[in-house]
Amino acid sequence: MTVRVYMPPVLRAVTGGKRELEAEGATLHDILVDLANKHPPLALHLFDEQGQVRRHILCIHASSAVRPCDFGLRRIESGDEITITNALAGG
Amino acid sequence: MGVSLIVGTKKGAAIFVSDAARDAWTQRFCLKGWSVTASARDSDGRFYAAIASDVYGATIMASDDLHQWRQLDGAPRYKPGDKGNLEHNRIAGAADFSGRYKDGGRFVDQIWTLHVANGSLYAGVSEAGIFVSHDRGQTWEGVEGFNEHPSRASWVPGFGGLGAHTILSDSRNSDRMWVGVSAAGFFRTDDGGKTWHPKNEGVPADTGQCVHNVAHDPGNADVLYRQEHRGVYRSDNGGDTWRVMEDGLPVCELSDGHRCSFGFPIVLDRSSASAFVVPLDGDNFRMPHASQLAVYRTANGISWTPKTNGLPQNCYASVLRGAMAADQRVPGGVYFGTSSGSLYATRDLGESWREIASGLPRILSVEAYAT
Repeated sequence: MTVRVYMPPVLRAVTGGKRELEAEGATLHDILVDLANKHPPLALHLFDEQGQVRRHILCIHASSAVRPCDFGLRRIESGDEITITNALAGG
Repeated sequence: MGVSLIVGTKKGAAIFVSDAARDAWTQRFCLKGWSVTASARDSDGRFYAAIASDVYGATIMASDDLHQWRQLDGAPRYKPGDKGNLEHNRIAGAADFSGRYKDGGRFVDQIWTLHVANGSLYAGVSEAGIFVSHDRGQTWEGVEGFNEHPSRASWVPGFGGLGAHTILSDSRNSDRMWVGVSAAGFFRTDDGGKTWHPKNEGVPADTGQCVHNVAHDPGNADVLYRQEHRGVYRSDNGGDTWRVMEDGLPVCELSDGHRCSFGFPIVLDRSSASAFVVPLDGDNFRMPHASQLAVYRTANGISWTPKTNGLPQNCYASVLRGAMAADQRVPGGVYFGTSSGSLYATRDLGESWREIASGLPRILSVEAYAT
């Protein structure tokens, strides 16, 4: 499944300024793995050194916010749009 | 020749560039959205900035002109399976969406210091450890003699976590280096990093060995000035022994009742052999004594005198451990930033200070480079 992934502004310094990237995978977790493989500088921002998705990343998919614990369960269809975002706090 | 400052803040880096007189300054902002926790410049003139995010981790950016930055291919990272410090993980890492903390693993969550020595780039990180790159940051390896120190299991974090925040080197002896860790203490290697030995004799350690910052002249490396949680100290033998050096400094009562001079940064101007500290009113309050922002200087290595001309009264900000630097020009320029986003400069060793910026985010790191 090929999907478009919208990158948060803070990570665009890593993606050469690109707002969106293409990735493939059957689940949200697969999508993040594919992004990390295609764009190696992104890898450490998406996964910690123990191989886990960083814990405060959220993905918005099909109008709902999906938490890391559900990334492997969320099925992706070709043409879906995904937004990577994160937990936010004020100040 | 002017001076360039990399002022790391909670939300990016402010770059200041002066004229030759260090009088007029230009300012711009970069690395927006990242905490900029440290910087360095190598012998070929490349700048490095350590960045961190609570969400997206910590790594290093590089620039040859202070305009264009790119992420290094490599970054300091622990190995899968490295055992972490549970207390540190709970202090430094917020709980996840389900209220769970990290446990078990060891993670680089912040790069506290970057240091160039012996043609290599070193990074001091939390969870406490040091890493070295011999290829300008493209690849990194852990300094295992330190990262797997026999005493590691007994290391305890300060409230800022378990961080290796200070790295010093001896320009006349490439085998000798020092590392400061909150709150595990100060260590020295004399064999190029294979073994490390605690160097805290004379410094009380009732609440952990909480070294805050250490400064020296790499060309006269065995004279060390140390700002500890529990006061200010000097060593004349490379850290083998320390003695209190607080004559002239304001003292205060710490949360445990100990009386000493509390603060975070300490820097040295090499040409005048002057050290500078910013005393704060103890670990409970962490604000200037009597609300007078004050820098203290020692010119004789024995006693301190206040340098407040141009610094504000009614100031309740603090100065963090990495937020003061000397430009090593003659006469010496010293720069520091506050937790309330003001940046101060002196070009006469503290006789007069000037605010050269305000309104910045919380200032985490300041480094000065002759350019």
